Amino acid sequence: MNPICRVGEHLSRRAFLKGAAVTGSGLILPNWGGLAHAKSAAEGATKAKKRCILLWMNGGASQIDTFDMKPGRPTGGPFRPIQSKVTGLQVCEYLPKVAAVADKLAVIRSMQTHSPDHPDGIYHMHTCYKMSERTPHPELGAVIAKFNGDQASDLPTFVRMGSCGNAGSGYLGPAHEPFGLGRDGKLGSFSTPYLADDAEKKRAELFRFVESEFAADHKAEPFESHRTAKERAWRLLRAKTVFDISKEWPAAKERYGDSEFGRGCLMARKLVEAGVPFVEVGQENYDSHADNFVCHKANMQLLDPAYSGLLTDLAERGLLQDTLVVWMGEVGRTPGINNRAGRDHFIRAWTIVLAGGGVKGGQIYGSTDADGKDVKENPVSEGDLFATIYKALGINHRAKHLSGVRPVWLTPEGSQPLQELLG
Amino acid sequence: MRRVRTLAIATGILASLLCELRQARAAEDTVRQFIDTELKAGWQKKGITPAPRSPDAEFLRRVYLDLVGTVPTYDETVAFLSDKEPKKREKLIDKLLAEPRFARHQADVWDLVLFGRHPGNIDATRKRDGFKVWLTKQFADGVAYDQLVRELLQGEQPGSELFQVQFRNQPEEATIAVSRIFLGTQLGCAKCHDHPYDKWTQKDFYGMAGFFVRIVVEEATAGNVKTYTIAEKASGEVLFSGAAKDQQPGKKGEPVKPRFLGGTDLAEPPTPKDVKEPAPKAGTKLPKPPFSRKQKLADWVTSTDNPFFAKAVANRVWAQFMGRGIVHPIDDFQSENVPSHPALLTALAERLTAKKFDLKWLIREIVNSEAYQLAGSGAVTDALPKSFERARVRPLIAEEIVLSLRTATAFDLGSKPDEKSLNPDDYFLRHFGEPTNGQGDFQGSLSEHLFWNNAEQVRVFARRKKGNLTDQLLTSTDPWEKRVDRLFLTLLNRPAKPNEIAKFVEFLKSDPKPDARVEDAVWVLLTSSEFRFNH
Repeated sequence: MNPICRVGEHLSRRAFLKGAAVTGSGLILPNWGGLAHAKSAAEGATKAKKRCILLWMNGGASQIDTFDMKPGRPTGGPFRPIQSKVTGLQVCEYLPKVAAVADKLAVIRSMQTHSPDHPDGIYHMHTCYKMSERTPHPELGAVIAKFNGDQASDLPTFVRMGSCGNAGSGYLGPAHEPFGLGRDGKLGSFSTPYLADDAEKKRAELFRFVESEFAADHKAEPFESHRTAKERAWRLLRAKTVFDISKEWPAAKERYGDSEFGRGCLMARKLVEAGVPFVEVGQENYDSHADNFVCHKANMQLLDPAYSGLLTDLAERGLLQDTLVVWMGEVGRTPGINNRAGRDHFIRAWTIVLAGGGVKGGQIYGSTDADGKDVKENPVSEGDLFATIYKALGINHRAKHLSGVRPVWLTPEGSQPLQELLG
Repeated sequence: MRRVRTLAIATGILASLLCELRQARAAEDTVRQFIDTELKAGWQKKGITPAPRSPDAEFLRRVYLDLVGTVPTYDETVAFLSDKEPKKREKLIDKLLAEPRFARHQADVWDLVLFGRHPGNIDATRKRDGFKVWLTKQFADGVAYDQLVRELLQGEQPGSELFQVQFRNQPEEATIAVSRIFLGTQLGCAKCHDHPYDKWTQKDFYGMAGFFVRIVVEEATAGNVKTYTIAEKASGEVLFSGAAKDQQPGKKGEPVKPRFLGGTDLAEPPTPKDVKEPAPKAGTKLPKPPFSRKQKLADWVTSTDNPFFAKAVANRVWAQFMGRGIVHPIDDFQSENVPSHPALLTALAERLTAKKFDLKWLIREIVNSEAYQLAGSGAVTDALPKSFERARVRPLIAEEIVLSLRTATAFDLGSKPDEKSLNPDDYFLRHFGEPTNGQGDFQGSLSEHLFWNNAEQVRVFARRKKGNLTDQLLTSTDPWEKRVDRLFLTLLNRPAKPNEIAKFVEFLKSDPKPDARVEDAVWVLLTSSEFRFNH
């Protein structure tokens, strides 16, 4: 097949150009299926805009037990710190592989946020706005899909696996909605055609005939939007082999660790390589109100190979400089340890880690006091974090949209990108 | 002599009755005519050539969807298309307006207006069957719109409570929603700061919030059924402490008097200093307060003197059928958002007030206008043309999709579905619940099309089942050409064009066992853009 697809015979050229105009990339990825697709897409992707992978620590990971250790303090807990590759950055003993790639990390130790519970925290840390506002703000993924995605691509522009955000595409609309995969990377509902290939093809051909007849004298935009989305769905179904990682997995599981989360991270790598601008992978079970240390030890043993493996893999493929990897959850956890050996939700001083995508690695931003009870310097809000992420990805963090009649901005007024992190 | 006089009187009465009738008639005609006169003037001014009059088939489908929320059946389609009566459109409109389906559909439309797809207090408001029944009854009984709104705001009629329940303990949300829905005014900005480009200040916002602050939603549980009562306390004030950005922890704020939007402070007797609110107890209802703010608000909102109320609803109903509001977006009346046809909006609002807020009257006038009956075809690409020069294109709402799929495929043939199964289930709501980007622009989505393409929930309408459309086509002994025509008349409510017939016949004949082919042909038309939208 011609590697540069000149608009499938049935897909209107106008729709195609329009998709490209929306993204402003001028880049039309052909990708009519199969694995051949991954290669051409990767070539295209290096010229395209930056991508982002969000590793979502659902429930809220403990900063003190991971990247902001307080050894010897009453709040320190039983885990020992180990020295990472970066001077001054100690991490938990259960993150040895992450320690070895710490030169890629920018650790923000001074997150000071405003939504202390799960649904509101998940919303807030995916949109940088408070849930109670009731404006339908889009998630990070939808924003990146809109600005850095290519609607003409075969693949969805916003993919997520596992427990993730709860806001969806909000005021950006269905074109940027999340496309969910199962925890194991399996395609979600309604992605398996009930027709055999050639029956599907014949049916599609009849559909296109009907549409072209109707389109001859019906020019209103919604009709075209309907057709374009239908074609996208069909292209996705044809390209869905990209979601099959069974061939890569045996070799990759050494690196990523043999876990669902590890598979998710490999999938994320494969998808950004294929041009998907945003992938979110959720890891479960961080909400350790009881037995915090048992929980965290178990989680970190899965996180360590997956996170470090992802960063190494991206770097080896030359993708890391254009792929921002964000590690965060909805809240941090209390420095104080409760009487069930748990840590509760904590939003006054916690940690988020960025890597790649032009972020300068091997640095720590902000700090907390000796017991980790408060931010000592450089507090960072949700808006600042998002402004930093958007800036790293080449997106104007004050881009304006309308929600209903109301002007809204990607980040709240006063949000500032953290220049130091961007190098 | 006496007889003569009686006769004269009788004739006189008759004459004056006829005259009144004629006047009423003429006055009614002027509204639909006035619509067309005003729009034509706009087209002339801008040098716009409007679309031609819609073909009968197009009008038929459009008006069915708009008035009764479903496409017509095959029989209804054929009957209308073959009817030679010159006034058949007007007659059809009258017939549909009188049907119970009209009330049901208006209830669907207004339920969406009043709650959206993500109402507040979701645990209580997710299932609204009881509310829908109540709302349907209001439309079926022809309850005037001002009365309907009064009941919604009071929440005292059994069945009406959920509107208030969605704002439980959130007087700010009630303020925003009530101002937007019933007064066409956006106060949301003024919650945190004075409105940047409109006249509204935070004082206006919290003045309105004062009418909601005393509302109490009482909950009672019997078995697993929760019921709600809307009550009101005798005391309680909104505290205002300035702009959101200047807030300090611990700063309490000053009480604000309730104030009608853009009007005067509420005149109310002073709250006695020693007022003691009865503690709410399970199973007992709060007594009515001696002075009800909620009632005062309901009176003011629905009053004929209210400067917002009539215009807001006239504009909303206009947009329901014409796509775009005369003020657009419909819920943003403000000095900088000027109406496209000011005289028309004023006339609609005044006449609607004179007609005692009879929405059915207004709907009848609008859909009888030439403007509503323009064709949906042509070169204009706007979904909602700014000068109304072509019929608007709107996606069917989830409720209409479900009913239309059932009607078009004869899904319920031979059995009467229970009312509940006519409501969209979670799958349909998820995939068709919110097809726009919030600006009213339709956006096709991947998930919608994966659902259309692969879901059993859709396939079930196309697959052969005794008596359904696919079965009828397969058991028919008519030549395929005739069956294809029937297929088009049933699903798209228009005859097939010759090249469509040829193409479909070729498709259907390409397999010696046509079951799967017929199913697929049905699927194709059901998922086409011609079916997906009202146009």
